[in-house]
Amino acid sequence: MVVAVGGQKDSPLLIITSMLATTIAVATPLTLGALSGIFCERAGVVNIGIEGMMLGAAFFGWLAAIYMNTIFDVAPLPSLLVGVLFAMLSGGLFALLHAVLSITYKVDQIIGGTVINILAVGITGFLNRQLFFEKGSIFGGQVPHAPGVLPRLQIPFLVDIPVLGRIFDQQPLTIAAILLVIISHYVIFYTPWGLRMRAVGEHPRAADTVGINVSFTRYANVIIGGMLAGLGGAYFTLESVPSFEPLMTNGRGFISLAAMIFGNWTPFGAWAASLVFGAAQALQINLQFYRELIPDQWAILQNSYVVGLAPYILTMLILTGIIGKTTPPAADGIPYEK
Amino acid sequence: MLKKSYFVITLAMVAIFALGACAPATPDCASEDVFCVGFVTDVGKIDDKSFNQSTWEGVELAREEGIADQTKYIETIDAKDYDKNIAEFGDANYDVIITVGFALGEATYKAAGIYPDIDFIGIDQFQAWEFDGDDSTNIANVTGLNFPEDHAGFLVGALGAMMSESGQIGAVCGTDLVPPVWRFGEGYKAGAAYIDPDVEVSVIYHSDVGFDKTFTDPEWGATTANSMIDKGVDVVFGCGGKTGNGAVTAAVQREVYGIGVDTDQYFTLPEAAPRLLSSAMKLLTPGTFDLIKLAKEGNLSSGNAFGTAAYAPYHDVEDEVPAEVKAQMDEIAAGLIDGSITTDVPPVKP
Repeated sequence: MVVAVGGQKDSPLLIITSMLATTIAVATPLTLGALSGIFCERAGVVNIGIEGMMLGAAFFGWLAAIYMNTIFDVAPLPSLLVGVLFAMLSGGLFALLHAVLSITYKVDQIIGGTVINILAVGITGFLNRQLFFEKGSIFGGQVPHAPGVLPRLQIPFLVDIPVLGRIFDQQPLTIAAILLVIISHYVIFYTPWGLRMRAVGEHPRAADTVGINVSFTRYANVIIGGMLAGLGGAYFTLESVPSFEPLMTNGRGFISLAAMIFGNWTPFGAWAASLVFGAAQALQINLQFYRELIPDQWAILQNSYVVGLAPYILTMLILTGIIGKTTPPAADGIPYEK
Repeated sequence: MLKKSYFVITLAMVAIFALGACAPATPDCASEDVFCVGFVTDVGKIDDKSFNQSTWEGVELAREEGIADQTKYIETIDAKDYDKNIAEFGDANYDVIITVGFALGEATYKAAGIYPDIDFIGIDQFQAWEFDGDDSTNIANVTGLNFPEDHAGFLVGALGAMMSESGQIGAVCGTDLVPPVWRFGEGYKAGAAYIDPDVEVSVIYHSDVGFDKTFTDPEWGATTANSMIDKGVDVVFGCGGKTGNGAVTAAVQREVYGIGVDTDQYFTLPEAAPRLLSSAMKLLTPGTFDLIKLAKEGNLSSGNAFGTAAYAPYHDVEDEVPAEVKAQMDEIAAGLIDGSITTDVPPVKP
């Protein structure tokens, strides 16, 4: 069967495959951001700074990769891997700041997260300008040649399936995100670490009574969360495009928070939600290819932004409790006082 | 105590603003004999290897040719400073003020009203009154330098159609709400159809986000280009700032041809250089020079002036482009200029 659209002849299977491949790829930062949120909030710390952590990590990871490649003459692939490492580290550092503010100093956690979002915009914007657009800077006032992006990995055997194989031809962070969903699920629900994390997030006093170090548990999980957000940031500059753009995370951190809530604070739920958001983006793009397919009585859907609204409407419906009820960890957002 | 510290802070802020302004010290521009050209960049640097730089080269050419006696530029750091930067030259009685980019259109209009004796040249600022007949927006001292983007798009569309093996080519663009971007896209389609009406052309615009974001979303550009390539597209034209750059870079990573925009992106997008087929160029330098010359002679008329479009050299893929394709490209370029080939693209989206 072939659909002929305004001169385009693509089989529906090809269209669906392409959309699935796009969906999985664009869901990567959302999935990692949502996992970041789960680690923080399961331990009882609200993290609305994921957006900032991602943006900061996108910049510093990219900077590290360029530095290695340009200044130290390291080959592109190792440079990129160092970039990924630095992205995770900078995400972790932003998270450490959030942890200090919200756990040690018991600052309102919404404020702490906002601080990180604003800080990341400022730092990355300023350094981007200073390093790459000022004469006499280390890179001579221009953006140096980036070491490219992380290479595609073809999953053996699966990638050889005709047409559908494209789904299994993905870049490393995309694959890592999916593995991390499985690992996180195991860690949170089947290990002592996960049990302590959840105990601290649900009832810190009870956890404290049985000898769990509340402060340490929260610190550790917030930092792990920050590193996951950092990995999500690396997607932008090391996997998707070899360049940095101020504000390039473009609200993905907030969407991943929505995905976390949508997924009821569970890794698989959050992943599914991220895929829904990713699918909306894939649909928006593909709708422009196949606009003519939409019948005239549905003309409003020919505007790609109408389709783009779908996941947000869905989120609102969920948040208002129409579709289902979500339950956050009981002590989420409440500082623990001994 | 509190009052005093406020005073100090205010003083410090005044000092900072005064420093930031850095007024060009040119008292003689008011004189009849001294011809001064001021240049306000869009947000970005003068040596951006793109719009700002190419236009500035036209200004400098005018100085070297002895047409302009004094040339100065101000780099805009923030879009809020457009008015202020233009006023720097206005207050110094410059003869011509050039503002670069669609975004400065409004500020240019405003300034033209304040300084009626100065000629304003707005690059990429389409003067709509010439077409919609609304004379109230006709300001006598503003000339928009525009380019036939449809010609530039036509050229690379034809080239893409000739070079594509799959018979599918694509373009990833900023928003079609900006007329030049829309004309690039329509020209691209027309150019491909001129070569072979059966070539499938997908032009995708990033119209579903805020206006400023449409040109600075490389990640979206890359995702969209990848999606096209999955469907068999093997030539990707990126038209729309960083968004387009993302698309071209993604295309090159997938080892299909990329096509740049505005200037020869072989020099501005090194990541894409190995597989960059060409770029749809606006010849800013001669266009700017010609208008300055007209202004000096007192022959600059308000409304729209049009520059020339071209396509960039093949550079690294020179050997892959067959001689007959090169010959046909030369013919098309000549045909567009002498009018024997038309794109049938209207100046604004109907």
